[in-house]
This record gives sequence, structure tokens and C-alpha cells, in this order.
Amino acid sequence: MNVKLQRIVFSLVVLTWAAVLLYFFGSGRIVKYLAPDFRPLVLYGGLGLAVLGLFVLLTAGEKSSCGHDHSEGDPHDHEASDMNPFTSMALMLVPILFAVANTKDSFSLAALSRKSLFDEPLSNNVFLAENLPPLTMADIEKTHKKSEAGFYEFNLMELYFAAGDPEIQKLLNGFKVETEGRLVMEKENNEAGNRRRLYRLFITCCAADARAVPIIIDFGKETPPTIAENAWVKISGTVTFPVERGATQVILQSASCVESEAPWEESFMRNY
Amino acid sequence: MTGEARQDFAFAFLSILFEGAPFILLGTLISGFIDIYMPPGMMDRFLPKNKFLAVLMAGLLGAVFPVCECAVVPVIRRLVKKGLPVSCALTYMLAAPIVNPITALSTWKAFTGPVVMIYGETVQANLVMTVSRMGLGFLVAVLLGWVVASIPMVWVLRKRLVDELKNDMPDHKAGEHGHACCGDDHSGQHSHKHVESSHACCEHDHSHEHIHAHKPDGSQRIVAAMRSAIKDFVDVGVYFSIGIAITALFNTGIAPGAAWLDSIANRQILAPSALMVLAFILSLCSTSDAFIAATLDKFTYGAKLAFLVLGPMLDLKLLFLYQTVLRKKFILWMAVGLFITILLGAYYFQWFLNQQIVP
Repeated sequence: MNVKLQRIVFSLVVLTWAAVLLYFFGSGRIVKYLAPDFRPLVLYGGLGLAVLGLFVLLTAGEKSSCGHDHSEGDPHDHEASDMNPFTSMALMLVPILFAVANTKDSFSLAALSRKSLFDEPLSNNVFLAENLPPLTMADIEKTHKKSEAGFYEFNLMELYFAAGDPEIQKLLNGFKVETEGRLVMEKENNEAGNRRRLYRLFITCCAADARAVPIIIDFGKETPPTIAENAWVKISGTVTFPVERGATQVILQSASCVESEAPWEESFMRNY
Repeated sequence: MTGEARQDFAFAFLSILFEGAPFILLGTLISGFIDIYMPPGMMDRFLPKNKFLAVLMAGLLGAVFPVCECAVVPVIRRLVKKGLPVSCALTYMLAAPIVNPITALSTWKAFTGPVVMIYGETVQANLVMTVSRMGLGFLVAVLLGWVVASIPMVWVLRKRLVDELKNDMPDHKAGEHGHACCGDDHSGQHSHKHVESSHACCEHDHSHEHIHAHKPDGSQRIVAAMRSAIKDFVDVGVYFSIGIAITALFNTGIAPGAAWLDSIANRQILAPSALMVLAFILSLCSTSDAFIAATLDKFTYGAKLAFLVLGPMLDLKLLFLYQTVLRKKFILWMAVGLFITILLGAYYFQWFLNQQIVP
């Protein structure tokens, strides 16, 4: 293939990638995909790709020289590609454009079920607790805001990890807490239909490594409110840690459950 | 594919792409500039005369001359032809994609967050994985280099390359610019540096360097470097796209076999072996593979380490690239050796981590 045409093709590929990166960063949609410290890299990467693509496109017809000799049998070519440039273009553009066209910035419940949405809670994370000073009720009250209704605001992750830490369980059992997350139907041990599962996603780096962090919501004798599956809710109640199906569960006996506005990002760091 | 499956695939695919693309760009920009600005003989100057020490040092050269595995094969082909000992060239070829700052940075970023227990202390997983990856990669590459240093070159290199080296060894015979004045014995380990186009008498710096100054201006070299970088970006980007597409299919449970892969995630021998096979098939770039390894969240750190060390040393595309330099029989033995050594290393690593967990 004409080397100038190859440069133009490669430039267009790189500029397309740049446009996708910059669009997702500029539109703010990137918050659904990456943890906070990765997001600026998308901006820098997008700008870098744009500069590289434009530079090569605008100089596609210019002469260049590497300035060094190559031995005999060693082709003097720094631009020979592994495969046909149009094949490369197709392999780089089709998947990304397909993904851009089909993404809804979230996983379906089917995918989340593979990301521990319906798994049992962790049974043991005491090795972390052993390296921390003993926790007291005073510490908990000092580090959590109390609502006007008398419920302490807890991150859902704190409640989830309490299932693996007997020390925190002792302190929190019967405690009045308020938390937020997405509400879905509970699959197990829910013959009466009065249980739901509250979860949110914890992203370490990117959405692909996201893990659902769930607890069980029990409405007792009350009829669960009519809320769309997977909607965001703010929920308050009394936390308990019964053993069910051979594992310590985190169950929040609901006192109030209202639909709430979705937070602006999926990562657990948001809103806290 | 259902609407939900498309949505899941697209979300996972883009998230990994956004995470890895900036690191690929960084790697290919550096690679492009090295390709143009670094003379082939420069590397030899860093190596000691003793062949065992030279192999050790070659394993660390990637820290100074970082290249990914795609770029390293053409480079070592050129270096071998310029007289770099084969053992050092192979050590550099295997170690450089792992023992280099870009790979270290991407591994560090990919595993940021979780902690592991080491000798009673909580340690960041990114530190453990980065150090272990570079350490095991270096060790495996050096071991192979020492083995290669003790066997004849003809067992390692392709016959054509060996013949070319033999032809190059005699004293710059006819057709090689007529260096009668240099007085060197041209033992095969030395070559010449030509300055400017005057061939009246060469300078004699024993640098394995053979430069004809075309006297390009600076802008011409920058254009060449950027073109080399964009070519590298597209070459790597193709495999990256395919790799993350396959990973996204497994990550979201769409791919057939995803459930099977999950089911073996805790098997001590089978899990690292399966991830090594996956690394071989995915053919990812070492600058971005850590982001994919980090998403294999059902697997142990040991299995992920096996994935991260084998991938840059041996994969489907490298198999083709290696055949431009190495004998097929040697590649087969090297592959078996790498697989077993890395598996043992990863197994020991996971065993060590398991000992740290409080019962």
C-alpha cells in the first residue's frame, strides 16, 4: 500500500480514538467508567492521540529521515506494519464504534449477578481489623452524621464489610442507620416477598472490575414500597446480623424507604 | 447477542479501553522516539565483558530503554546482527517489556486499591504485584539468558541469521566500504562508526555502531519518530482491541466458557495455567495487560502474576515474530521452559500469600 495512504488511514484511526476519549471525558460520562484518579489520564490520552493523529495527518506527504543506517538485509523501514492498514483500521474502529453505539453507561442485572450482586457476604476480613485500634461506639458516633430522625448515615460498604468483622457486628447490632443504594428483588429466602437487596458498585480502577456490594433489606410485615427495579433509594432502619444459609448476613429492618436521585458517579468515593 | 448483552459488553469494553489507551500511547511514543533517535549500538556500551554479568545487566536494560514486546523483536534482530551476544539479546527481549517504567506504572495503577497481608503488615496490592511482576520477569529472563549463554548460537538463531553473522565476521571484506585503513581485526564483536560520509579512515570506538550520517534536519527526525509511534500505536491497538473485546465477553459472562473459567479460579495449578493460556491467546501489550488482569477478579494474585509475566514473553503474535530471529525448535523449548518456570514462580508466590492469611 502507498505509504502516504497508510499514514492517512492510521491518523484517522487515532483521531477517532481521540474523539471518543475526549467526548466521554468532556461530557462527564467518564465518571461511570473509571475511578477518579484515572479520569484525568483519559483527557491527557485523548489530547495526546489528537496531537499525534493531526501531526501525522498534516505531515503525511513530507519527507522524513531516521538519521541512521540499517545493515544489509535489514529493511530501512520504520513504518512497516504487522497487517494491512485497512484491516488494522477495521479491527480498531469496529469494536469501539459498536461499543459507543450500544453502551448505556451501566451493567444489566444479569452482568451484575456475575459481579457478586447475589453472593453471600464476606465471611472473614478480620485480618484488616487486627491491624487497627479497637473500635468504640464513641468512634462510630463521632465519624458518622446523625439525621434529624435519629439515624446515623453509613456508607453501604461499611455495612457490607461488617458481615466479616465480629467486633463491628457487636457494636452495630441493633443500631439505627441510614444508607443509600439501588434496590432490586431478593432472590433467596424471600417466600413472603418482603425482602429486597440494596447494592451499589465499588470500582477499583474501571467498571469492568466493579464489584456489587449488597445487603438485604427486610420490610417485615409492611408491604415493600412500589419502586422500580434498580432504582436509587435512601433507606433507614435497624441493622442486624443474623446467620442465614450458613453465613452471617447484613439485614436492615426498614423503617423508611424513599426513592432518591441517582448520585453523579458510580464509584464508592462519590458523595462521601 | 441480546440488547442487555450488547449493553454489558459495550460498558466493559469501553471502561478497559479508557483505562489502557493512555498507557499504550505513552509506550508507543517512547518506543517511536527510541526507534529513531537511539543508535543500534548504544545498548552494548552498558554491558560488562563477563557474559554472566552481561546477561544480568541485559535484564535491567529495559529500565533505560523501555520497549514493549512487539517493538523489541525487530530491535534485538538488529542488535544481534550488530554483534550483541545472543544470550544478552534474548534476556533483553524477554525482560524489557516487563522490567520497564511504563509497565511498572501501568501495573501499579491497575492494582491500586486492595491490600494484602505480608509478615503481619497490610501492604498495598499494587506494590506487591508490581515488584513481583518485575522480579519474576527479570529472574525468568536472566535464567533463560544464562542457559542460552552456555549453548551454541546455531541451536538458537535461525540458520539464515547465523549465516549472515558468519559472513559479517571476517574483516569487512569486499563490498563493505573498504576499510583498509582501520587496522582492526573485526572479530565479530566489533564494528565501526562512520562519521559523516568520509570513508577515508573510520573512527574506531568499538561501539557496534554503524552510522551513516544522512544529516537529516531535526524536523525530519521528529516526523519519522511520530510516524513510527503511530505505526506502533496501531499495531498494538489492534491486539488491544481484540484482547479487551474477548475480556469484556468473559467479564460479563457473554462468552461461552466464562462460567468454566470462573469455576477454576481457585484451583492452584489449573487457574494460573488457564490464565497463561489466556495471555497467550489475547496477545496483549505489556503496557496495558495489567488493566485486564485486574478485572479477572475471581482469580488469585498468583494466577494474575502468571498472566502478567508470561504474556509479554510468549503469546500468539510473538510466536510469529520470534520466528524471524529464532529456530522453531528453540522457540518450542523456550516456550515449555517459560511456561513451567513461570507456573512454579506464580505457584510459590500464591503459596507465600496464603501463608500470610490469619486462620
